[in-house]
Amino acid sequence: MNTLVSRFTSSSSTELKALDSRDPDYGENEASDITWGSLGGFGNLGLNGIPSFNIPTVPDPTAFLRLHTDDAADSSCRIKIQHGTTTLAFRFQGGVIVAVDSRATAGSYIASGTVKKVIEINPHLLGTMAGGAADCQFWETYLGSQCRIYELRNRERISVAAASKYLSNLVYSYKGMGLSMGTMICGWDKTGPAIFYVDSDGTRLKGDVFSVGSGSTFAYGVLDQGYRWDLTDEEAQELGRRSIYAAGHRDAFSGNTCNLYHVKEDGWKFIGNYDITKLHYEGSQGAAYGYDQRTQ
Amino acid sequence: MSHYTRTQSQQHPTQRQFNPYTENGGTILAIAGADFSVIAGDTRQSEGYSIQTRYAPKVFKLTDKAVLAVNGFAADGNMFVKKVKQRLEWYRHAHSKDMPLRSIARLIQTMLYAQRFFPYYVYNILGGIEEDGTGAVYSFDPVGSYEREACRAAGSAQSLVQPFLDNQIYFKNQTPVLGTSHPTHLPLRHVVQLVIDSFTSATERHIEVGDGVELYIILARGRGTQGLDSFKDVQELTPHAEGERLFVLRRELKKD
Amino acid sequence: MDSSNIYKKSGFDFSNQIRNNFLAAKGVPVPKATSTGTTIVGCLFKDGIVLGADTRATAGEIIADKNCEKVVNPSCCGAGTAADTEFTTALISSNLELHSLSTGRKPRVVTAMTMLKQMLFQYQGHIGAALVLGGVDVTGPHLFTIHPHGSTDKLPYVTMGSGSLAAMAVFEAGWKAGMERQEAIDLVSAAISAGIFNDLGSGSNVDVCVITKERTDMLRNYIKPNERVTKERHYKFTRGTTAYQSENIRKYIVDESITYLTGSATTATTAEEAMDVS
Repeated sequence: MNTLVSRFTSSSSTELKALDSRDPDYGENEASDITWGSLGGFGNLGLNGIPSFNIPTVPDPTAFLRLHTDDAADSSCRIKIQHGTTTLAFRFQGGVIVAVDSRATAGSYIASGTVKKVIEINPHLLGTMAGGAADCQFWETYLGSQCRIYELRNRERISVAAASKYLSNLVYSYKGMGLSMGTMICGWDKTGPAIFYVDSDGTRLKGDVFSVGSGSTFAYGVLDQGYRWDLTDEEAQELGRRSIYAAGHRDAFSGNTCNLYHVKEDGWKFIGNYDITKLHYEGSQGAAYGYDQRTQ
Repeated sequence: MSHYTRTQSQQHPTQRQFNPYTENGGTILAIAGADFSVIAGDTRQSEGYSIQTRYAPKVFKLTDKAVLAVNGFAADGNMFVKKVKQRLEWYRHAHSKDMPLRSIARLIQTMLYAQRFFPYYVYNILGGIEEDGTGAVYSFDPVGSYEREACRAAGSAQSLVQPFLDNQIYFKNQTPVLGTSHPTHLPLRHVVQLVIDSFTSATERHIEVGDGVELYIILARGRGTQGLDSFKDVQELTPHAEGERLFVLRRELKKD
Repeated sequence: MDSSNIYKKSGFDFSNQIRNNFLAAKGVPVPKATSTGTTIVGCLFKDGIVLGADTRATAGEIIADKNCEKVVNPSCCGAGTAADTEFTTALISSNLELHSLSTGRKPRVVTAMTMLKQMLFQYQGHIGAALVLGGVDVTGPHLFTIHPHGSTDKLPYVTMGSGSLAAMAVFEAGWKAGMERQEAIDLVSAAISAGIFNDLGSGSNVDVCVITKERTDMLRNYIKPNERVTKERHYKFTRGTTAYQSENIRKYIVDESITYLTGSATTATTAEEAMDVS
């Protein structure tokens, strides 16, 4: 089919057909025109930017996926998707603090200790990564391009509420198919600093303090006892760092390093990367977080 | 015989699960330097206790400055490499140039994620030279999450090789001698030696690693071949010395 | 005397079996026994029997031992679970010794074979011993294979273990009746080599054992086709590489006196010198 013809004909039937991923003619098996020419390299994004997926031709595709990828239910499954995390974000007088660890685990193996779990959606929006690494990375990058399209259409930045709702609606349309994400969309818009929790079940919550992942209980413990609205910037950053340290110290699936971001009115700023073992023995500025207490 | 009697005596229908995956063993590994990149893989392909072939390449040249290593299920891996190469050719026809490395990395992510609900059982490592002339390694999980790193091992001997690399490349658990610091980038000769030693060691202790190893070495534009001259059997794959240069080094491994 | 022996039966202890089955059903991983995924062979020749084995022991896909001995005692090769083959052959070997002492005759190969198969059958395959048993007695040379469930075979040339197919291919191509000693050794090492190179469960070196009426020769590491290659680099860590949080040196020698046996007996306190260990 000619690209130009398809782009300028308003026939909705052809467009709908292109979207149906279960159609054996679609996608990978037969290269459609959009996969090459000047549009080549856009992956599985169709003409209108909506991705499509190849699905196994079995009676229950979800069960098939779970059989081969769910290492929580069956540790001998072949495809081990990266999991495990501690992430947190909180709102305070000076903006939003976002702090995450950097460990990715596949089963009991530490697949990486240098993962970027804060996804920079655009200069004013941050997303965090918990659950399936690929799910978060792909969909939050995708959210970034949709937010840019919103800006071009409406001549203003997207609100945190709208961006998070876009993501929430999107993952809800895949509900029950095996996506696994627990994310916080953080940013600053007309209403001020804002955090929305969005997960793959379809939950979307607005709030001041969130922590997501296997180490979240440890992070909440530190976070809740030190949280106040009128924290100074330095105090708030230290609280975020200290909370991730606590989770990295006690949760086997979290650790390695802590990435710290601070969102203010003029956008987010990367504060730093901190080695959790170093925090334990030496601290960030001054006293060690853990070692001194244990050995005196 | 017994098969037929069993089906006849069966009272209830049983469900058989569709299982299109197998594991074909082997290990891949890549290390990035300041102005070069080394990507390597062994050449044994096995299933269970049998060797299917002693020479099945796991490392593939994509462009003059990008090399892809695939490990896991060989059929998925070969098909995936084929499709990546096809997409890169289309890109060449459309734009009259090779796709930059970071774009190939993103392409691989979208191609893997398109199979999110029917994944390729493949672990990918992409190595090459970035547009700014630095050596780069990208590693992927089977459904497309990726990250740029300095070194990465994947495959069946991953858990043997990666700790060695962590110690020798990232200097994990090594404190520098007082007054000195660890280098951020190692020289090419040193890196090639580490890669060869990783594979000979993995061969000693892992039954699925052996037969041979292929190292692809990519040098940035304008970089000389210093560090490579001391190795024999190095073969150049690029036709001329302008631009990035690609070399391959093949070594035998133990065959038991 | 250990009094608890009176109440405890001899033999295997099953007291943890119910608990372990329960844990296994709950999904707790069962610890893996070292298995000698193996090539073991035996063949008849003019004057007796040649046994052969590779030397690789595996735990899953990791090589646990690169040069283990599978020719357990000089008449028996073991495949399967390493501990089971070792203990079963040791038990039968000592029972055989007792048997020969009480009968006053040299033991026969069939006797060993019968004792082994009766024990293995009794345990219904739970003892994972797969054996090649060969020997020469008053009735001549004999060669058997014994499977974990207790079935046996008596053949002129046998192979067992994960490399048995590769090894048997060599025997089928090359074995003939009435071979010379060296001919048989060469055939056995070729069979083991086939297992070493074509079966992932087998590897490293070839062990050979030649049993004749007169003597038994253990040719340990008869061929070493898989020597470890030299590394490209040296991995020696400089002094001070390991980090430490604090340093504490203690003096264990408080006082030391030296008594001279000849000449004048002078006493010197040399604690300071003795502690110079920096």
